[in-house]
Amino acid sequence: MKAASFRAIVTMISFAAVLTACGERGGDPARQYGADPYLPDPHQYLLPPMSVPEEVGWKAGETPSVPAGLKVEALATGLEHPRFLYTLPNGDILVVESNSPGTEAFRPKDFIAGKVKARAGAAGKGGNRITLLRETTGDGQPGLRTVFIDHLHSPYGIALVGDTLYVANTDAVLAFQYTPGATHIESPGVKLADLPAGPIDHHWTKALTVSPDGSKLYVGVGSNSNITENGMAVEEGRAAIYEIDRSTGAKRTFATGTRNPTGLAFDPQTGQLFAVVNERDEIGPDLVPDYLTSVQQGGFYGWPYSYWGNHVDVRVQPERPDLVARAIKPDYGLSSHVAPLSLLFSEGQHLSPEFAHGVFVSEHGSWDRSPLNGYQVIFVPFVNGRPAGKPLPVVTGFLGADNETVRGRPVGLALDRAGALLVADDAGNAVWRVSGPQSGT
Amino acid sequence: MSNSDAVPPAATQRSAVNTILVRRLLHRGFIAAGGALLITALGTDYVYFKTALWQWANFSAWLITTGLIVLLVGVLLLLIDFATRRAARLDVVSFIVVAAAGLLSLLNAFVHSRDAWTSVVPQGISLSALSTVLLLIAAARGWSLAKSRASGDRT
Repeated sequence: MKAASFRAIVTMISFAAVLTACGERGGDPARQYGADPYLPDPHQYLLPPMSVPEEVGWKAGETPSVPAGLKVEALATGLEHPRFLYTLPNGDILVVESNSPGTEAFRPKDFIAGKVKARAGAAGKGGNRITLLRETTGDGQPGLRTVFIDHLHSPYGIALVGDTLYVANTDAVLAFQYTPGATHIESPGVKLADLPAGPIDHHWTKALTVSPDGSKLYVGVGSNSNITENGMAVEEGRAAIYEIDRSTGAKRTFATGTRNPTGLAFDPQTGQLFAVVNERDEIGPDLVPDYLTSVQQGGFYGWPYSYWGNHVDVRVQPERPDLVARAIKPDYGLSSHVAPLSLLFSEGQHLSPEFAHGVFVSEHGSWDRSPLNGYQVIFVPFVNGRPAGKPLPVVTGFLGADNETVRGRPVGLALDRAGALLVADDAGNAVWRVSGPQSGT
Repeated sequence: MSNSDAVPPAATQRSAVNTILVRRLLHRGFIAAGGALLITALGTDYVYFKTALWQWANFSAWLITTGLIVLLVGVLLLLIDFATRRAARLDVVSFIVVAAAGLLSLLNAFVHSRDAWTSVVPQGISLSALSTVLLLIAAARGWSLAKSRASGDRT
């Protein structure tokens, strides 16, 4: 009788083991680059398809890799979860150190998912501050490092317009008076506009950029769930790109259906707004491709009802065929689960002629796809104001040689005054500087 | 309480009863409690199916998870019932019925870990309904997965 019970338990355990082994492997990401990505049929899984590499950090002397002819070096280390970078007109570099304000676990799954993601460095404590780096000796290294603004609330995007520095906390855009050359701002910011935040605040980052004429701010607000599993009520005003009038603080949604628009930038040549967007999870290793797209005013980009145009997501009820019918196909697929977090127009050939016109995109890296995808900075060339052609890897080596451990994860991107590419690394707690022959040492 | 002369015979009688009843099966109450939680998940699945209100799907996920944990405690206590000779022999039909409900519910816990609608419809609520039928059979059979030695001795 004991043996029978024992056999039953063994059966239950092996049954569970079979369930965990049924994940399917993703194909070649190159099939999903560009305007017409390969889209397999969606699947429903028994286990959340998690594949999270362990975070090991950078050993002394280790750096990411760059193509021949370019040079990479650490600009700063020992930061607290650096996420966003911004170069001030005088060459000072601002580093936003931040992480999620913390979310509640609603389901048994949330406890497990939180623990697994923590292995990949996603749980690092955010500094909730902005650090200033200033080159003082002419060697490209910051001789001065100060806390520029402290006591922020999960800040992400920043932008300077005239003498006003805007900081997008997770719950509001704040305006700070900036004096050129300042190394510290003591005065508390003045709130320009509220942003959708808690409760939950699942996608907490608020990307921020300024219109070319300086009159409007654009803020990316992510969804409050993967695919509405926290209810529709908490999605009010989320998964959208907002336009905020700088003089009045009045805001309106500029575009909707963008699940998590983590990076925003205007093309300096055409004045067109572009975004990188993180798409939905858990319907396959090759679904749904994250994307880079021009953002049309009033445009609806599908989330939650559909993806890549009118591909309906059956997980969302009740359905909205009226919205699906007008969902816009994004411009350019980046392949699935790469987690693009920042985009930056290259503004000329500072690094190499290859990178003369287009965008750099940082791919923070997948957590629910096997094999891993992302974990690099790529360059997407532009032709006639639109992304075109294959992406080129620019900064790689964020994964260990075994491709199963994480040394760093790229987030924020900026060009410094010399035209070198700066990359914030929130797992390695560093800022990397990539320079070419024409962007100084 | 005042007529203390009645105490000695009553105490003797109680200890005689205890030698039989204290050997009750330990696992039974836990199988019942776990089963009740799993059955309740059919109700919360149904409300989610009708309303698509997210919190009902969350209730189901918690009911199935806790139901499985309590059921697992019941299975461990079943082993103890045999180890301590409380249980005489397995009630094969009840055991198979509860084991099947447990395995279906384990599968259901994974289905309920999906996000939004497909965590419940159609597979989740179907698994909940199947487990409920099996667990109601187990309930009708008294939730016990074994025959107790005490009762066996008396027959």
